[in-house]
Amino acid sequence: MNDFKEEEFENSKVSASLWIKVLKQLGETKKHLIYLAIFMLMQAGIDVVLPLMNTYAINNYVGNSSVTTRSLIIFGIVYFALIIWQAVNVYFFFKQAGHIEMGFSYSMRKKAFKKLQELSFSYYDKTSVGWILARVTNDIARLAEIVSWSLTDIVWGIAMMIGISGVMLSINVKLSLLVFAIIPFLFALSMYFQKRILQLHRASRRVNSKITAAFNEGITGAKTTKTLVLEEAMYTNFKELTGELRMKSIRAALFNSLFMPIVSTCSSLAIALLLNEGGSMVIGGVIEFGTLYLFVNYTQSFFEPLRQISSLMAELQMAQANAERVMSLLETEPEIVDTPEVIEKYGDILHPKFENFEELHGDVTFDHVDFYYNENEIVLKDFNLEVKQGQTIALVGETGSGKSTIVNLVCRFYEPKSGRILIDGRDIRERSIGWLHHNLGYVLQTPFLFSGTIKENIRFGKLDATDEEIMEAAKLVNAHDFIMKLENGYDTDVNEGGSRLSTGEKQLISFARALIADPRLLILDEATSSIDTEKEKQIQDAIVTIQKNRTSFVVAHRLSTIVDADRILVLKKGVVVEDGTHEELMAKEGYYYRLYTNQFNEEQQASLLQLNKKRAKEQSQEVNFEEE
Amino acid sequence: MKTYKFIYHYLKEDIGRFVGVVCAVIAYVFFTLLSPLVMGFIIDNVIKGLPLENPVMIPIVTMLGGVDAFREKLWMCGALLLAVSVLTGIGMYLRGRGNAFVSENMAQRMRNDLYSHLQVLPYAYHVSARTGDLIQRCTTDVDIIRRFFARQASEIVYSVSTTIIAIVILFSIYPPLALCAVVSMPFLVFFAYTFFKKMQVVFRKSDEAEGDVSTCVQENLSGARVVKAFHRERYEIDKFDKKNREYTDYTFEMIRLLGVYWSLSDLVCLLQILAVLLLGVYFSIHADLSMGNFVVFVSYEGMILWPVRNLGRILADVGKVSVSVTRLREILEEDQEDMESGVHVELQGNVSFENVHFSYDEHTPVLKGVSFDVKAGETVAIMGPTGSGKSSLIHLLTRLYEYEGSIKMDGIELNTINKTCCRSQVGIVLQEPFLFSKTIKENIKIANSSASDKEVYNAARIASVHDVIQEFDQGYDTEVGERGVTLSGGQKQRIAIARTVLNGCPIMIFDDSLSAVDTDTDAAIREELKKMGGKTTMFIITHRVTSTVNADKIIVLENGVISQIGNHEELMAQEGLYSRIAHIQQNIQRGGE
Repeated sequence: MNDFKEEEFENSKVSASLWIKVLKQLGETKKHLIYLAIFMLMQAGIDVVLPLMNTYAINNYVGNSSVTTRSLIIFGIVYFALIIWQAVNVYFFFKQAGHIEMGFSYSMRKKAFKKLQELSFSYYDKTSVGWILARVTNDIARLAEIVSWSLTDIVWGIAMMIGISGVMLSINVKLSLLVFAIIPFLFALSMYFQKRILQLHRASRRVNSKITAAFNEGITGAKTTKTLVLEEAMYTNFKELTGELRMKSIRAALFNSLFMPIVSTCSSLAIALLLNEGGSMVIGGVIEFGTLYLFVNYTQSFFEPLRQISSLMAELQMAQANAERVMSLLETEPEIVDTPEVIEKYGDILHPKFENFEELHGDVTFDHVDFYYNENEIVLKDFNLEVKQGQTIALVGETGSGKSTIVNLVCRFYEPKSGRILIDGRDIRERSIGWLHHNLGYVLQTPFLFSGTIKENIRFGKLDATDEEIMEAAKLVNAHDFIMKLENGYDTDVNEGGSRLSTGEKQLISFARALIADPRLLILDEATSSIDTEKEKQIQDAIVTIQKNRTSFVVAHRLSTIVDADRILVLKKGVVVEDGTHEELMAKEGYYYRLYTNQFNEEQQASLLQLNKKRAKEQSQEVNFEEE
Repeated sequence: MKTYKFIYHYLKEDIGRFVGVVCAVIAYVFFTLLSPLVMGFIIDNVIKGLPLENPVMIPIVTMLGGVDAFREKLWMCGALLLAVSVLTGIGMYLRGRGNAFVSENMAQRMRNDLYSHLQVLPYAYHVSARTGDLIQRCTTDVDIIRRFFARQASEIVYSVSTTIIAIVILFSIYPPLALCAVVSMPFLVFFAYTFFKKMQVVFRKSDEAEGDVSTCVQENLSGARVVKAFHRERYEIDKFDKKNREYTDYTFEMIRLLGVYWSLSDLVCLLQILAVLLLGVYFSIHADLSMGNFVVFVSYEGMILWPVRNLGRILADVGKVSVSVTRLREILEEDQEDMESGVHVELQGNVSFENVHFSYDEHTPVLKGVSFDVKAGETVAIMGPTGSGKSSLIHLLTRLYEYEGSIKMDGIELNTINKTCCRSQVGIVLQEPFLFSKTIKENIKIANSSASDKEVYNAARIASVHDVIQEFDQGYDTEVGERGVTLSGGQKQRIAIARTVLNGCPIMIFDDSLSAVDTDTDAAIREELKKMGGKTTMFIITHRVTSTVNADKIIVLENGVISQIGNHEELMAQEGLYSRIAHIQQNIQRGGE
């Protein structure tokens, strides 16, 4: 994904305004940038002066028997001082550049991460994890590198070129002009090569990532490959890829190795001209030999700054896309925000004022709510619903019927396009997102655990929970026993060795996490994955435990688990078509009844009829969701 | 020693090229070092008119018509310098070219070998394999070796030959000053070497910290719903900040230490140059060092100090190559499966197990004496708690593992049958089937590339997935995976079934591979399969009583032994796991009404 986008920008012009925006992000680090520029200027100074010192020695000392020891000592001291200066300068240069690179990337990552915490769900729905991850890691690192090292190289390069030109012009104008004549030529060459090299490298890197993907597939799919006897076919495919990589990499490397010889031949051409012209000047006594030597030296040192400037230009062009993406992430505004008044009272997401949080009782009202994710597909239209505190509401319906949307709205992951949602009789927007989430418990369809121990994962629900509380919660959801059977008990790392915990076990841990948070509102997105029959019973018991005394919304995938719900809402295209308890709805013999009994007709398999209703039921319900 | 053998193995096809690179580097070094000599010659002999004494320059100059020719035609000086520079450039290019070919060829061979080797490693290896680590080895470690041959190897040749040739020339010109010119070299090499050796720890720490930062972001994003619903944004930010800080601090320290290194080594290098400068002046005044030779010394000093510094750094890095080689060898030395030996037979579908024992490791037996007979065309359902050995049992049928006891296929002992032959006739659909990132059609055809579209559609129909596929925007040409549609577990399973069906195997195994498919479809698929081939023997692992009810034989496995065997009616009449599970399902159901 990353690579494809980069390509689009490859040929765009360097946009100054964008880079200024990036530089503005420097903040505190700005002063280091100034220090760094100063060190770079001094470095350029040293680099200009050192050849001058050599020239001075050649012109004045070599073979000159009238040289006084005193003058030599002074020369030595000055040179030595320059050396010390250089050494100190190099150290501080690294230190400052390090400050900038790491300071900049640290604060950019921090900002980006904070932004990510504030962004609403609509953003996550549209943006893949991989994409965001690449922004926060690669792109920021790249920008920091450019800002700290490459950009300052330019300061050095320009200062160096100006310094050299100045010294040369002051010594001999004719020879200087001779050298200058070669510069535009060198510059154009460097620009061309640097850009081409970067492009070719990028092309080969793209194939390289395909190879990584192929290895990944080859290894994760090895079992399938084996059972289907595909070894040969897979290998043939893979060989094509490595062949392509070889070709592309060699092409990039060839271009790269062509660059230096061509450029150095160019500067030798200048030197040759210089010798031709300067040589006769030396013979004619117009200039001293040391001066000619200095010009030769300087001509060679013109090249490095030129190369760096052209490589930076190419880099800036390529990194433009990175900069744009990072900036766009930082500039994304969350769609759901609290009003200033609300923030005033309840604090913002990161600084909640718990002391002002009112108790949440759990009455939830949808008042003429309209909602859609995109305008062409209205999900809810004039939706009304009243839920009393403590009730368990089951939402039943096929995919796209709006059951997840209702949950998203209750959680305020999204807001109604029109109409209101009331909690305890007050508009949900009158109190902060933090207040709502503080009182919310959420169990996902596929349990998500963070890396770390089981204990840490449960504690996520209540940060100051004691070990006893954690165990208590685990016991209540039937997780304690299996946790104790693990080698390290509650301190077992959940990701250790891959899939150590089964999905059912992870589910139970996520129940414990929700339970310990003691939420007033509970959202349960039910698991669909196949769980062993015996674990299934434990999970259902856990669900009953956790729903006690709180308002809960259950997105039901298995009808058998919601027969005890206070209300079952059967949704069809955003409309509640049936509403009541399981018994009521069954008695009604409508849509729910049909969902519930559908499978019986197909399950006329004699003796088993009475035995397998539940399984068949939940399965036939699924098929209805899929196909209706 | 094994490291060299490994490297030689991959280098040998390009050994000629590699020798070419070494020659190119030496030529390059020679011409690079020639240019200051040319400068010196121009100064001393052309401009100042001193007699030509330099042993390197004499033959060159003589060949070009002697010093006088140069004096008369001054442009020849520039031309000579330019010629040397062009030759240097050619050497440089040839070196780069050779490096590119040698390193890329080697990398290609290594990648290919690794890939094909991994494909043929036994099933057991892949079950316990750590994918991330393997990929890391196949990419990063290969790259370390590649980079060694792309740069470092010729860099070492370059550094060593520059130093040696320069020292020889310098000593031939003016021994006392030459002695002074090399004083700091051993120290520089040693310093760079020890420094970068030590730095490796710092580099690693920084890398690890960077990895932690990525993991932290990734988890936060994947768990966004949890984070938000639990109102843990603050907590997450603090957690991230800690990792971010750590990474920043480690890396800054790394950069600072590099600063120390470059500062100190610059100091030493420049002091060395100053020493040559001062001593050179002394010799030029009090002895017979000519100006041209002085210039040669000063120029050479600048030329050798860099490679010398670099040499230490590369040597410190070379250790990584042998670490990488070891890591790759660990993969390549894993024993491959024997795909060659064994008899080729056409299977009918009769299977008999006789007192079969099996264990993954010696301590925990998985199957403890399993015996049963299956006739061609029968359907066998296998039920049992997780870990009872169901999957192991059917994996044995495809020779993915070795067993004890006897398994006979049509009377032939299974482990005498060729593995390829066996696997291509025993079709197995795994519980979590893997689809390749290709189109759906390519996935179905993957093991039978000559199948016609009609056959593909038919297989898909049997697997009850044809209609689903047709609903996708691009139908059968829809890409699977990241680039295309995300398939549900049930859809994947059905495509995998179609893939196996297309092969038309006499024995088909479904390892709980209908678990994510609803009962209707499950039944429909089984019905279709029955119709398809009356003689296909089917093994079905399942938790569903609906799936077992029609089976010819139901095997209930508990703790590696068959606790019950029989058809549905027989098992329902017995006390045992089968009827218990059936009753649990019934109870849940009744509670619901």
